[in-house]
Amino acid sequence: MPNEDRYQSRIELLQGTLDMLILRTLQWGPQHGHGIGLAIRNSSNEVLQVEHGSLYPALHRLRKQGVIEAEWKMTENKQRARYYRLTAKGKKVLAAEESRWNRMVEAIARVMRPA
Amino acid sequence: MSRWHWLFRRSQEERELDEEMRFHLAEEAQLRMDRGEGRDSALRSARRDFGNATLAREVTRDMWGWSSLERAAQDVRFAARMLRKNAVFTAVAVTALTLGIGATTAMFSVVYSVLLKPLGFPEPEHVVMVWERQPGGRNNVVQTHNFLDWRDRNHSFSKIAAYIGVPANLSGEGEPVQVPALQVSAGFFEILGVAPVMGRTIQPADDEAGAPAVAMLSNGLWQRRFGGRPEVLGQKVLVHGSPCEIIGVMPAGFAVPSVAADLYTPLQLDLAHNPRGRNYRTVARLKPGVSLAAAQADMEAVAAQLSVERPDDNYHWSATVVPLLEQTVGASRATLLVLLGAVGFVLLIACANVANLLLMRGSARRREMTVRVALGAGRWRLLHQLIIESLMLSVTGGLMGFALAWCGVPAIVSSLPAGYPLPRSGEIAVDERVLGFTLALSVASGLMFGIVPAWQVNRSRMSDALRQGGRGQTAGSRTVRNALVISEIALAVLLVIGAGLMLRSFVLLENTDPGFRAEHVLTFKMLLLPSKYTDAQRRAAAINQMLDRVRALPLVSSAGSIHVLPMGGGNSGTGYYRLDRPAPPLGGGTGGEISIISDRYFQTMGIPLLAGRDFDSRDRLGSPAVAILNKSAAQEIYADESPIGKRMNVFWSGDREVEVVGVVADIRHDALSVEPSPTMFLPNAQRPNSLNALVIQAKGDPSSMVTAVKEQIHAVDPDQGYLEVRTMEQLTAQSIAGPKVQAALMGIFGLVALVLACVGIYAVVSYGVEQRTREMGIRLALGAAPRSILRMVLREGFVLAAAGIGSGLVAASALTRYLSTLLYTIRPTDPAVYSAVSAILVIAALAGCYFPARRATHVDPAVVLREE
Repeated sequence: MPNEDRYQSRIELLQGTLDMLILRTLQWGPQHGHGIGLAIRNSSNEVLQVEHGSLYPALHRLRKQGVIEAEWKMTENKQRARYYRLTAKGKKVLAAEESRWNRMVEAIARVMRPA
Repeated sequence: MSRWHWLFRRSQEERELDEEMRFHLAEEAQLRMDRGEGRDSALRSARRDFGNATLAREVTRDMWGWSSLERAAQDVRFAARMLRKNAVFTAVAVTALTLGIGATTAMFSVVYSVLLKPLGFPEPEHVVMVWERQPGGRNNVVQTHNFLDWRDRNHSFSKIAAYIGVPANLSGEGEPVQVPALQVSAGFFEILGVAPVMGRTIQPADDEAGAPAVAMLSNGLWQRRFGGRPEVLGQKVLVHGSPCEIIGVMPAGFAVPSVAADLYTPLQLDLAHNPRGRNYRTVARLKPGVSLAAAQADMEAVAAQLSVERPDDNYHWSATVVPLLEQTVGASRATLLVLLGAVGFVLLIACANVANLLLMRGSARRREMTVRVALGAGRWRLLHQLIIESLMLSVTGGLMGFALAWCGVPAIVSSLPAGYPLPRSGEIAVDERVLGFTLALSVASGLMFGIVPAWQVNRSRMSDALRQGGRGQTAGSRTVRNALVISEIALAVLLVIGAGLMLRSFVLLENTDPGFRAEHVLTFKMLLLPSKYTDAQRRAAAINQMLDRVRALPLVSSAGSIHVLPMGGGNSGTGYYRLDRPAPPLGGGTGGEISIISDRYFQTMGIPLLAGRDFDSRDRLGSPAVAILNKSAAQEIYADESPIGKRMNVFWSGDREVEVVGVVADIRHDALSVEPSPTMFLPNAQRPNSLNALVIQAKGDPSSMVTAVKEQIHAVDPDQGYLEVRTMEQLTAQSIAGPKVQAALMGIFGLVALVLACVGIYAVVSYGVEQRTREMGIRLALGAAPRSILRMVLREGFVLAAAGIGSGLVAASALTRYLSTLLYTIRPTDPAVYSAVSAILVIAALAGCYFPARRATHVDPAVVLREE
């Protein structure tokens, strides 16, 4: 049996950021799970090493919340893959998350490096 | 619909998630190979980067959300996996449960259909039978005169009808046959509330003396003899040799409880004809709102008036009202409930067995449980899981048990020996109600044996278990296990004692000397055609002619007749007293059974003549009336005097004076289990009876002579049918069919109980040995002799067995008294049975311990000690 409490405490660590990063990545268009992971890794210059396994629970959660939707499509290499796309609600959530994140970064920066 | 949808969606989600992850790993590996990594290394690092795939999957699944139903389904899947993994355990447990639940279901279907299910009449609870009550308190068939007065004077019944079973002779087309038939007074069918499928019922006009002869058919006879043709209505058929109009056909399945009948004719009771003989059964329907007690009080008041008005017949007699269902099944209730109880004990043993197996497996799984708790599984969830496993076992066992009963019960019912006294056996069905019972029983069993191990898991401290490395057993669970085995053995003792008592009783019964020789005797039961043999002269002549012709057959050594055959369950009875003393006071006379026989009946049946002479050609109509007494009657009435030549009064269709000419040995007449009663024999030649049975002693196989005897009967009268042809040995076997079947059933239950208890003690002792392998190893290493180890283990098993046997004996001495009505001559505390059963159980228990004990002595100390 999975330990639900422990899982949730671990998700807490990532939740805000991972969800936001996923949404951000999808802003440029539909992408499959692997592509999302790759994009996060690449655009962070490999600093953010997302454990790819944890992407999928997050993707499902976001799907359940209705901020993204999924569709099976063929890749360029003619393979079936599930592509995720932002919904209208997702775009709003992303905007809100971005501004929240920005405020938080500023606030933390002020604390860490008081002017 | 939505649940199917959910199931469908669930598996689709699973598939999609898997596919997505596979795609991910493949892409990642491809990416790495494109960068120049080797294929294997690329696959490995792709997986490493992915992290814990199982966890990801579970977490994702969790997000789909679990309803409690989904949780249960998940537990069921897990349980199924666990049960499949432990195939042996599962097989043993399911077999034990299938046997236990199957047998209980089978017995319940019988108890339900026979004892509990309302009779198939409208408002059956209002249908009662009314009996005369003898001064001694026993119920008696009803007198014509009393019945007519009851009918006029009661205030409780909307209708009351009398009936009597008299076979009917059908002739005309085809071979003449005699079928069981009922003569019923008007209102009979209205009381039962069943309408004919065709035609009409017997009405008051048909029931008047001298009314045109009419008859109603059972559906079975209509199909068999009349091909189910509707034109039969209004046709005349020859009943008892005279034309009789068919006025109605009853529906299939209609049966008067415990009376077989294919033909119904009007009874036409009237006071002119034998008003004083007690012959009739009655059935009545309570008026709406009249309670049974009120009807009883009413009938007692009526009977009290009648005993004042006609003291000669009714002094100290009263009346009893009995519900029809009670009347029908009352005699079977004790037997059926004892058997149901016995089978319930078998189920309890099976449950204790499975509980024990689960407990042991529970100890083996303690580590698994502990790890799961440590990983955060809720305690409730574990309990849930264990209970689900138990329920899966019990419901699987239940369904298989139901299937067993569903196939087995009809087979068993149809193979019951002829004469097995089970009323309503045609109604026994393993139907949806029984299925409901089975499922409830399965769930109850599952909870019963599941709760103990679950409770153990809950109780034990997980940290302890982890420290012990899953090896130790807590003292608590051992106590529970031992208690379970002790109760199993105790229950097995109880059942085997029950079986032993019934078997011993049956063997005693079967070996009882009936007082007559049944070998080579063939019997022909028949009713002389009433229309042809209206006067005594002709009835006597017909039987005489048949006997003369049969005696002339080359393979016949002797032949005679009797009006009610031995081993048929009953006899005629009446009062008689010696005439050289003052007549006994009203209601205080002597008497007993009475048989109307031909000459040479005693010779044919091998019954010794003790004094005087047999009936012979001197005893004719018109010659001095004679009688023969059996030994019991002679001793009762004449004590030390010789009865020969003494004059007696006997009531047989009126008072008659007879001279005693002989004394014969006693026989058991009613049944093998019934002690001989005082009996008077009257010659058929002087008191010719309509109902008669020819008894024929053959020189060879009696059944090979049936055709020859039939020819002789038809030579006397081509219209004469016969009711039943049986060998005397068949009749004797039929009379003990009940005890035989009951002893066999109890024997099977006892055997199953014994095997289950042996498996139980074997499992517990083996498990104990396994747990203590290390201890045994150390003992052996320190120089203990293998014999002493063997003794130690055996002693342990023996203590369990002794405790079980002891409590079983105590339980048996308290409970077997419920068997006393089913036992013949032995008491329910028969010491021989108790000691034999104890010995069997000790041997069985030691056999159960021996193999694990032997294994213990073969422990290799070096191996065991290194294992740590």
